[in-house]
Amino acid sequence: MMSTAIFVALGILLVLVLLLIAKRKEVEEREGERAAAPAQCECRDNLQRPELVLRIFSREDKEFVLQMRSPRLQRMYKEERRRVALHWVRKTSREVSMIMRTHRLISRLSRNLDAVAEAKLLWQYLELRFICGLLVLFIEIFGPHALHDLASYAGELSQLIGRTLPDAAAANRVAPSEGPATP
Amino acid sequence: MPRQQIAWHRQKARQPHERAMNDPAKLVTPNNAYDDLQHRTLSGIPCDLARLIYLASTRDYNSGVYHHEGLFARYGSESTRVALRAAHKDIFYRLIALSLEELVNELGIYVRISREAPAGFIHAWQELEPYRVAVPMEVDSTMVQLFQSNIRLALEVLRFRQEHSQAYPSASSLQPLLGR
Repeated sequence: MMSTAIFVALGILLVLVLLLIAKRKEVEEREGERAAAPAQCECRDNLQRPELVLRIFSREDKEFVLQMRSPRLQRMYKEERRRVALHWVRKTSREVSMIMRTHRLISRLSRNLDAVAEAKLLWQYLELRFICGLLVLFIEIFGPHALHDLASYAGELSQLIGRTLPDAAAANRVAPSEGPATP
Repeated sequence: MPRQQIAWHRQKARQPHERAMNDPAKLVTPNNAYDDLQHRTLSGIPCDLARLIYLASTRDYNSGVYHHEGLFARYGSESTRVALRAAHKDIFYRLIALSLEELVNELGIYVRISREAPAGFIHAWQELEPYRVAVPMEVDSTMVQLFQSNIRLALEVLRFRQEHSQAYPSASSLQPLLGR
């Protein structure tokens, strides 16, 4: 019981430390952005682009770099993609926060608020922030392709289990009949 | 993404022409500045990366305003600016939509047409990063990051290929130095 509590506390501490690191990097990145492109506008029509996300997390690009068989290039690719992926997650999170802030200001002036709709919106917002936080952690620790890699690995494992299961079932069926014959 | 963006930008590019059409003193056919730019100028440039660099070079560094004498003489200043800006964004979106391999090929073509020694070109681009100023204004910052990141990677791929071809000259005859 005590050891479980220690593990949980250590886990929470680790998550907090990683969040602090992520936050610090976010501040650094924001300062860098300001210095590099002060006039860049975050256009609303560019808010969500599934194609852009697909490009950032593209398997095709990863495989192309792997084909090169250059460790330096692979390291560089990982670092470059990690940076862009983190930028995208933080930007998405920032934009949604801005929208929520505006919505909050408007809501204060509103006289007929729909409490259920507001609660639902808040829940969705918190959910998104949580997912963004998780994504930042995943990308920081495992790299931008981690989620895809994990999903692929899970798929491979499930196929492996699927292939293994009929054999195991057959072996189980065979085993009792063979059982008495063995000494 | 690029198709929708192109359609949207084309629509935006048409607006000043449509306004001009209502003005009897200045009859301009819709699309002209944009289409003129596409057909007479950009079609003569062999790759999208070169087109992007060309369009960026028509933009004033200090004001961000586009200039093109030929188009200006025919279509006026506002139509010219809108057409140049729209074309610049369209090509940027096309480049963003390319895979890394396609971008490497694109950069390979650009290196060839630059007529510079590949090693010198790659070194200069890695040091000076001129592609940073080739980005259009008012585009999504993640796109800008992705573009710059992809160019850095493409340069590194070309450098790797070049070093590899120098280290293994026999292999270089099988695999072209730059792109496919």
